Amino acid sequence: MSDLWTQVEPLLAHVERPARYIDSEFGAVHRPEAAYRVALLYPDTYELGMANQAIAILYDRLNGLDGVAAERAYVPWKDMGDAMRAAGVPLFTLESVTAVRSCDLFGITMPYELTCTNICEALDLAGIALRAGDREETDPVVIGGGPCAFNPEPVADFFDAILVGEGEDAIVEIVAAHRAAKAAGLSRAAVLRTLAAVSGVYVPTLYEPADRKAPARPREGSGAPAQVVKRVVADLGSHRAPTCPVVPFMDVIHDRANVEVLRGCTRGCRFCQAGMIYRPVRERTSDDIVRDALEQLRCTGQEELSLTSLSTTDHSEISDVLRRLSTALRGRAVTVSLPSLRLDSFGVDMARLVSEGSRGGLTFAPEAGTQRLRDVINKNITEDDLLGTVRIAFEEGWRRLKLYFMIGLPTETDDDVRGIGELVSRVLAIAREVTPPAERGGIRIAVSVSTFVPKAHTPFQWEGQLTLQQVQDRQHVLRETMPRKGVDLHWHDSEISFLEGTLARGGRELSRVIERVWRAGGGFDAWTEVFGLSRWTGAFEAEGIDPVELASSPRAIDAALPWDHISSGVTKAYLAIERERALDGVVTPDCSFGDCTACGVCPSLGVDVVLAGESRG
Amino acid sequence: MADTLFRLRVTYGKTGRLRYLSHLEVARACERAIRRAGLEYAVTQGFNQRMKLAFCPALPVGTAGTVEVYDVWLKRFVAPDEVLGMLRATTPAGLTPVRAHYVGEREASVAAAMTLADYEVVIGHPDRGPGRLAEALGDVVMSGALEIEHKGARKVYDLATCLPEGARVSEEDGRSVVSLTVRMGAQGSLRPDALVREALRRSGMSDELMSVTRTGLRPEEARA
Repeated sequence: MSDLWTQVEPLLAHVERPARYIDSEFGAVHRPEAAYRVALLYPDTYELGMANQAIAILYDRLNGLDGVAAERAYVPWKDMGDAMRAAGVPLFTLESVTAVRSCDLFGITMPYELTCTNICEALDLAGIALRAGDREETDPVVIGGGPCAFNPEPVADFFDAILVGEGEDAIVEIVAAHRAAKAAGLSRAAVLRTLAAVSGVYVPTLYEPADRKAPARPREGSGAPAQVVKRVVADLGSHRAPTCPVVPFMDVIHDRANVEVLRGCTRGCRFCQAGMIYRPVRERTSDDIVRDALEQLRCTGQEELSLTSLSTTDHSEISDVLRRLSTALRGRAVTVSLPSLRLDSFGVDMARLVSEGSRGGLTFAPEAGTQRLRDVINKNITEDDLLGTVRIAFEEGWRRLKLYFMIGLPTETDDDVRGIGELVSRVLAIAREVTPPAERGGIRIAVSVSTFVPKAHTPFQWEGQLTLQQVQDRQHVLRETMPRKGVDLHWHDSEISFLEGTLARGGRELSRVIERVWRAGGGFDAWTEVFGLSRWTGAFEAEGIDPVELASSPRAIDAALPWDHISSGVTKAYLAIERERALDGVVTPDCSFGDCTACGVCPSLGVDVVLAGESRG
Repeated sequence: MADTLFRLRVTYGKTGRLRYLSHLEVARACERAIRRAGLEYAVTQGFNQRMKLAFCPALPVGTAGTVEVYDVWLKRFVAPDEVLGMLRATTPAGLTPVRAHYVGEREASVAAAMTLADYEVVIGHPDRGPGRLAEALGDVVMSGALEIEHKGARKVYDLATCLPEGARVSEEDGRSVVSLTVRMGAQGSLRPDALVREALRRSGMSDELMSVTRTGLRPEEARA
């Protein structure tokens, strides 16, 4: 282990935001004595990566193991990357400033499709061959994980192993298997076969990739499972949230104490990948949540607490949690924030509980502008729910609202898009009606409109995505019908959504495209100001792949899909039934509030819905 | 607010790797250290309540400091030595507090009172003597003004106003150390490294600036 600080420091005077590279934060863990070393990389800049809760959980868990040190690494911004290459400085971990290549395990989280070129950048800066098959015996095992592991094929060639599902327990088993294999002096190939035997671990080199007719299958004699089933933690009560995560110096996104209140969401929105892959719902007890929140605030000194999950206000004891926190934090200038709220009076009640009299903004996600389309996507709310909630919120003194919508959803017509503008008009009308005349000038409705991208393991995984031209046409309709006064309209970059669509459902052949884009200077594609579609279209053309066909052509229900060998526990049959119900406009209820809807997760993974209270209301 | 508040003045360093922090990053880190220490701090009134905390004039990214200062208003009196111990335990190494004492509520803010800042700029160029550098610095000061471009904006500093005392150059361990005092004003203050770089440039010496450290903050009238 050799400290590269003396080589890194001279570069810092010439780069933006050197705080990204200096470590030394409160809570950073230094274990120089540990024999087994793990680098955990978020494939983007420090200020984005520091918000990632999965890395924080794994960092905490690994550093709690005897003889193991986990350290953080991020992709240096372009100025630093260039300076490092010029000075011959390899990618390093922050804590000990050692070369990532000298670690035993190199973990890379895959939070979002467009970070794929940064995976190439990180490997290359580390001095590690891009493709698993080209690596040397002494190189670290490169392991991926995160949401994109559910269709890993576009980046599969870059990884020695990929963990599908939740990492709390799996990472411990992976490290134990790796240490034992190393101690036994196994070759790299044998180490990877050992890792493939750990439940939830996919080793891409052991598989023949899928084509249109046949799913990916294990190579003969590899011993790898035909289907890799996701890992899931049955009871979150068996783990604590990190009590003292690293406290950044820099202004990072979501710079606050984060405590997970529940995992999974079974509302069943048919476009939502997270809602399918993180099943079932597992709530933490209110005692655990309050204990971890207060302990994390005490230990970090953070001035904001976020209670995170896919649907925090669905927690069966959320009002009890918020009341207890509100009492404990009074007078300490600590704010409590909730992600988007349930669209009912209960959501507003919860917002009032954390607001301590101040009235910031409220966020809701109606997703579609007409009832017909909300039924198609299984967004089980009515226009009366929304308008009733808006009325209560403005009567209670809120003046700012943020609404999330999507365009390009299956079966959408221009009328549905106009419906968004019309719904926002009605929201505005109610807001003005119940707001005293002198305060009406302060009414602001922020409308954020993203473009639907079909994702693997959802009922819409077979659907085509709108072409760029169609998206631009619908954005035009949206602009024309959206009220202007009092409304701030934002929509996602259609080119980024288009590319996301190609990567979300592509196969292993896309690794060549990704590598080509990276070699042409690509990277940080998730940054709008850096992203350039032309680099991508050129690479697709050079590789003879039609991206429009990939993103926009519907898939046959019986076609082999590139992710068929990965199981989220939700059966393909259930997804197909949900697709049929969507096209018929039939809604499916949430099993955490009532009866089982037979998605398959609980019986196949041996788990169950876990509620903290007796029932959800 | 009728409650009595106790205005605690904390002196700390900004050293080592943490000299690469910006002023806002330092401020946030100190605030969080105070929260971690469990001190009962006062908060500002208004829509966004914040800890009542005030800092000395900002240091640029990359510049170290050995006598940086902040004032924090506490709701409960805690003996200065005890506070110092608590803060030392919760502050990242590199921003470690070195002194804590209470000051009167009527005393001027650190930012307003401390108008002079002492700096040490270390340059590594063993082939040239300190005399040459002192001469070059003198030439720059004699020219009367220094124009500096920072982030695309140009600014001209009147050196007679900015530099109330002459710069001194000494030799330590084969390095030249420039000691100088800069007057801080409402329009910002001259960066000492910019002055030294200009002297190096004019005299054709290599630009091997190794470190810049603020070593003193003092009110003007206290000058001997």
